[in-house]
Amino acid sequence: MNACAGVFAVSCSGEQTTGAQALQRERQLNQFLAEVERRALRIAEIGVRDRDEALDLVQNAMIKLARNYVDRPTAEWTPLFYRILQNGIRDWHRRQNVRNRVMVFFGRGSHEDSDYDPIAAAPDPAGRAPDEQLQTQQAMGELELAVAVLPTRQREAFMLRTFEGLDVAGTAAAMGCSAGSVKTHYSRAVHTLREKLGEHWQ
Amino acid sequence: MNTPDEDKVFEKSAKAMFDDSVERLDAATLSKLNQGRQAALAEMASASPSGQWSRWMPATGMAAAALVAVVVLRGPAPVDPLDGTNSTVTDFEILMSDDALDMIEELEFYTWIDVAEFESTDNAG
Repeated sequence: MNACAGVFAVSCSGEQTTGAQALQRERQLNQFLAEVERRALRIAEIGVRDRDEALDLVQNAMIKLARNYVDRPTAEWTPLFYRILQNGIRDWHRRQNVRNRVMVFFGRGSHEDSDYDPIAAAPDPAGRAPDEQLQTQQAMGELELAVAVLPTRQREAFMLRTFEGLDVAGTAAAMGCSAGSVKTHYSRAVHTLREKLGEHWQ
Repeated sequence: MNTPDEDKVFEKSAKAMFDDSVERLDAATLSKLNQGRQAALAEMASASPSGQWSRWMPATGMAAAALVAVVVLRGPAPVDPLDGTNSTVTDFEILMSDDALDMIEELEFYTWIDVAEFESTDNAG
């Protein structure tokens, strides 16, 4: 009888510990996603130049992280999350390329560049003088366009390093390449962007 | 040629612009992000097989322990060879054995032996 009581006590204690750990993990994941989601959305939006598509990509990345990698150490979540997101963005571009080729074949080519207005797509302004808002939005619009047309790896390196603030090792993990490659892509991206943007950014 | 200092200034400006655009995301977009996050958290709660297993493991272990305890305490049912309650199994085994089939096939022979034995005993008596 005492043995059974012991077994019961151990079982209940184990269940409580597991439940508490799961709850703690869920809180950590919620905090992580809440912290990263807005920057991730803007990064995805610059990558695909469409907010709704970017929202879908960010949500998919969140779900994949929660489903497959939540047991990994929390320090790994940021590069893992961005790796999933960047893979999603790359897949999106592949699908778009195939779709565009098909549309061109049938004489209905895509004009995705012509109908994208980064200033109109910019978020609602808040709390500043109209001139300042306009100047900021125009500058950001120019930066977005310049970043969007960078080669894929340069764009990824620049956004992860500058916008998300990942270090070289974290960026390399997120991009699935070496630290040396990250430095090269990043340096080229900065050089290209500064040349394109000119006096706005000097 | 870009100098490192100029690059730093550029990076700082770009980061500030980006952060500003993040801060100005509208309420509808933030709401959609929140919905996406909740969907991910729900996925975490429901789709983790290891989590589900570990959640049920204590209950499963306890049920197994209880079953073992019952078996050990009660033990196997006592078998009395003379007890007629087990005769069903015994009869069934006999009927299914090859010998039993032989006996059925030669039933007339065994009947004759039985009658012959009875008569010889009777005559002797």
